[in-house]
Amino acid sequence: MSESVGTTVGTAGAVVQRSGVIRFDGKACYACRECEVACSLYHERECNPDLSRVQIDFDDFRAGFPDGRVCKQCDWPACYYACAAKHPDPALSVDPETGARYVDESKCNGCGACARACPLAPERPVLYSKRVDGRKVYFKCDLCRDRPQGPVCVQICPAGCLTFIPAEKRRS
Amino acid sequence: MPETYGWAGKILSVDLTRGEVAHLETTRYVPQLIGGLGVAAKIAWDELEPGVGPFDPENLLMMMVGPLTGTLASGAGRVEVAGIAPQQHPPVYSRSGMGGHWGAELKYAGFDGVVVRGRAERPVYLWIEDGQATLRDASGLWGKGNYGTTAALRAIHGPRARVISCGPAGERLSRIAVIQTETGNAAGQGGYGAVMGAKRLKAIAVRGTGGVRLARPREFLDLCLSASREGQIPAIPGSDHHPAHEPASGPSYRTRKCGFCATPCTHRLYMNVPGESNPGLYTVARQCWGYMAASREAELEARAITSDYGLNGWEISYGIIPWLQLCKQAGLIDSIDGVSIPVPDRPIEYLRDVARVSGEFLVALVRKMALRQDPLGDALADGACYAADVLFGGTGRPLLDHIYPRHAGQTEHWGGHWGPGGNVYWPFWLPPILQWCTDTRDPANDTTHQWTEHVQHYLSQSGPYRGPFPPEKVRAVCERVYGSGDVGDPAIEYDPPEARALPAIWHTDRGMIVDSLVLCDYENTRVFSMLGEDGAADTGLMARLFSAATGFETDERELDAAGERIWNLHRAIDVRNHGRDRRVDESTIDGFMYPGKDDGVLPDRSQLLRLLDTYYRLRGWNPANGWPTREKLEQLGLGRVADGLATAGRLG
Repeated sequence: MSESVGTTVGTAGAVVQRSGVIRFDGKACYACRECEVACSLYHERECNPDLSRVQIDFDDFRAGFPDGRVCKQCDWPACYYACAAKHPDPALSVDPETGARYVDESKCNGCGACARACPLAPERPVLYSKRVDGRKVYFKCDLCRDRPQGPVCVQICPAGCLTFIPAEKRRS
Repeated sequence: MPETYGWAGKILSVDLTRGEVAHLETTRYVPQLIGGLGVAAKIAWDELEPGVGPFDPENLLMMMVGPLTGTLASGAGRVEVAGIAPQQHPPVYSRSGMGGHWGAELKYAGFDGVVVRGRAERPVYLWIEDGQATLRDASGLWGKGNYGTTAALRAIHGPRARVISCGPAGERLSRIAVIQTETGNAAGQGGYGAVMGAKRLKAIAVRGTGGVRLARPREFLDLCLSASREGQIPAIPGSDHHPAHEPASGPSYRTRKCGFCATPCTHRLYMNVPGESNPGLYTVARQCWGYMAASREAELEARAITSDYGLNGWEISYGIIPWLQLCKQAGLIDSIDGVSIPVPDRPIEYLRDVARVSGEFLVALVRKMALRQDPLGDALADGACYAADVLFGGTGRPLLDHIYPRHAGQTEHWGGHWGPGGNVYWPFWLPPILQWCTDTRDPANDTTHQWTEHVQHYLSQSGPYRGPFPPEKVRAVCERVYGSGDVGDPAIEYDPPEARALPAIWHTDRGMIVDSLVLCDYENTRVFSMLGEDGAADTGLMARLFSAATGFETDERELDAAGERIWNLHRAIDVRNHGRDRRVDESTIDGFMYPGKDDGVLPDRSQLLRLLDTYYRLRGWNPANGWPTREKLEQLGLGRVADGLATAGRLG
């Protein structure tokens, strides 16, 4: 098997396709939270920042720039391995087009192994849970993988602080 | 309960006297009154008796959001505030509003508004979380500034709680006390912070994890993604037209926006600026108004203190300080606490003539007012119009003339005269004068900006402006939007009068729509655009957003009619409760009877009276008394309001 940009090898020996990623520049962020509303509107069909895959943390009484939390689509996706290690038919999948690590809601049983495995947790979580028909399922950024124009948060952002970096442009 | 889209479906009703919290059904009022200020006006019409004063327990304090609040439509973070306003001179039912994040959070918590009645026995705050609301003891918060109140409530309710509060000025019933959120957004004009103080309601903290459900979410998303984001000034097509992040000189800042908005409008957040007059580090957001201070640091320090005490910096900067300087020039006062009041060496005719002030002076003045220290601070705490009634034996009253139209409590703004506001050229300041005549407040809250800033920036001739649109193009767009191509013609002065009355009406009605959806007027009431060939803005966007959000199919004309309905309801309250009539409207003209600041043109009083005749006629109001007629009210579905005015003997 040839090694190429856009391909990485998992710890268990499983090849995991490299993903694009959304980059956040806190110095440019206006803290308007348009991204949060656009994300929830696209994915959940309602405007609800608490169901957004991107989260903007800021406190105007504390010095510093806003902090944007969004999945880093790791080359070594601990969430993916954790799910695969626990379930024969894992919910965490890799999109063949974009490489996005995404949750297949129909398969998720809400065990939370993915969220616990994430190296950003617990301080800066990027995997969240919600209830669908009374069932707990996890959700995370999927780079709007079924959206031809790319991530909706990047498109709405008035500050230009969210940028989509395709897999082949990511630093190795 | 039937499913609602757009609206949360419930309005929180709080009785502070009884300590009770209940719900009203939003569907009692919508879709006819949209939400926001439309619903507030109906509640006020039903409940506010004539004679109720701003500080009476019977006054209502309403914080209202609407069907588009918390959605992806631009400007969806706002909240509108309504009730009898103490700053108005005399107090009348009016409105204010603010951006930020609080309005959207209220919606996410499941409410379309909060209506507060009565007066608590002891200080309380309201905690709202996901459909539940409780009144809690605020004795530990009473006396705290707005910043400290927010910090204390976040320590209890978590860092994502959004807070509005009144500061020490509001507690002391200062008529120019604001309701503040975060570091700089405030419902400024109206003095609603003092209404909170009178009700002993220190703050409202909100946390909501719910969402706004939409009738047609995919269509709504597409509408928002393709909406104009041009802002006020003509943008070069293809450019994203967002302000660059300039390298800071002096104190550093972050560029910020109100929550839930994608327009180019931004503000600066200055953090930890060392104080000049007082030790300490000051954090404050800097939007459009400013103190004319001797240095940037002095200005920021004074602004931060003003926000923390919860005073209306606009009124201080553009009204009180100029008036004090005029009083000094007239020999009525010399200094405040030994600090000399600075004055220019020429007579003050316009705001631009006012002398700059030191940080020391500002801090001393603001503190004196916020805490009502000694008779001077006590009087100024109620704004210049009330202060002029009691200070200097009333001899300072005539000095209000250039600053305050009708001496009604708020400084002239965007009417081409005193300033503030940018330049506006003859004859384009005539529609704002009509708005000043007929409004209950400074109309630039929601109705004037798009006319004076946006429209004149597109015209190829408006004073020295050289906008991108040739006269024929302007004429065609004006014909379509206002129903008269003459509206955008700078050569037309008073004739035909429709050319000046039509935009006053159109922008006022659009303002009511914006205040009821609730959105921001900055992007959503535009007329021209660089995006299409014909130069016309997408004036139907708000109606399409409303339809996709709520599922109530509403075209542009129907939504405009709702705006007109809401404005008529406001007028009816003013007429029934406060004796508003043509005489009051006409007396506003006195405030504009001097040469315009940018062009030196002196208006003609008899011509202004003719414009007012035309305004009333186009409104369907009786030109003899300025009262709405039964015919107009019934046409708008307000037959019962007509009955109420008839009972009061004030049906036009």
